[in-house]
Amino acid sequence: MFIWSSLPRSVSAIAVIVAIALVVMLGAQSTSSPRPDFSGVYRPINPFGNAAVGGGAPPAGTPAPAAPAPGQPLPPPTRTAPLSDGSRGRSADAPQLTPTYLAKWQAISKSRIAGSSESDKVAQCLPPGMPLMMSMFYGMEVMQTRDKITFFSELNDALRRVYLDGRKPTPAIFDDPTYAGFSTGSWEGDTLVVDTVALRDDTYIEGFTPHSEQMTVHERIRFASPGVLEDRIVVSDPKALVKPWQTVKTYRKMTGPPDDQLREFACAEGLGHVR
Amino acid sequence: MNAPRSYLFVIAQLTLALAVRPVAAHHSNVGFAVETVLNANGVVKAWQWTNPHTWLILTVDDGKGGQVEWAMEGRAPSVLLRAGWSRNVLKAGDKVTVHYSPSKDGSKVGMIARVTLADGRVLPNAPPGD
Repeated sequence: MFIWSSLPRSVSAIAVIVAIALVVMLGAQSTSSPRPDFSGVYRPINPFGNAAVGGGAPPAGTPAPAAPAPGQPLPPPTRTAPLSDGSRGRSADAPQLTPTYLAKWQAISKSRIAGSSESDKVAQCLPPGMPLMMSMFYGMEVMQTRDKITFFSELNDALRRVYLDGRKPTPAIFDDPTYAGFSTGSWEGDTLVVDTVALRDDTYIEGFTPHSEQMTVHERIRFASPGVLEDRIVVSDPKALVKPWQTVKTYRKMTGPPDDQLREFACAEGLGHVR
Repeated sequence: MNAPRSYLFVIAQLTLALAVRPVAAHHSNVGFAVETVLNANGVVKAWQWTNPHTWLILTVDDGKGGQVEWAMEGRAPSVLLRAGWSRNVLKAGDKVTVHYSPSKDGSKVGMIARVTLADGRVLPNAPPGD
């Protein structure tokens, strides 16, 4: 009797507590802005961009012709890769360089036209660095937690981390520039806003466009549509650029195997091939 | 990565590179006339499924009763996997046709645009739509 009379009261008390907890949790969720989850594996959409006219310099080959109708022979390929030596000049939408840095670009172009791989740091297995790495020529994996987002590039196994926990670059960070730089981010609604500083000066903005140690990169990353991630990039460099340069990269999220699996890219395996 | 560690990393890379001596030295696209595509018929001597680029060693008749060896450089396994290639897609003795861009320095090295197998199957250098 004792048990039976007390049980309903306990149950109802628990139910009230659970209900209050649910209301509090739901209320908390609805008042904070929704944070999309960018986690996943992506492939770039149109990664080569304007490379064919000399403004870009992807690291490897280019599309072969699409499969012909059954029974039809394939037309012969007309190129193996986009031209990436600058022999057709700079494209109209390439970063506008100051005279000093345009001269640097021209010197690199001359070396490339002559066939030297000396200027191709990615071919030497070095990280592409920011912002070039966001071209993500082969594929990208995004790993997201509350306090950090990590972007991984299949090409050269390159990595960058974006801190979301409010930390700021310190003098020690500025004194130690790196390929990926130091990135901090915060959410504006569904958009991740990222600033990157402390970048080495021996990487390229895109193609083989050089920059100074004063380069900074500002990004706004969001889902432009379901499954399509967009990165709007603004590159500033008061020494190398006449004005900030803007570009937009887009990536399609892979939905299943094998496309959602990046392969190991152990570049050092063939480092000796480089000359 | 701090400076001392990056030096160690480079030393480790160089050590590995010396241990696995490659068949040919070349790398960046800029070493090739990428907008010129030639083709060669030959026999596979070796197929090396390596990063950052693959290598197809090809034996080609020189038209004078002798043979010459070409080193055909292919894209990375990462990319070729999605274009229908594999570690075992080619083997020594296979007769193939290779479309390639020649090296700018005139050496017998080419950059692969496409490989056609004896059964007519075509291996492009990029996945469809890439």
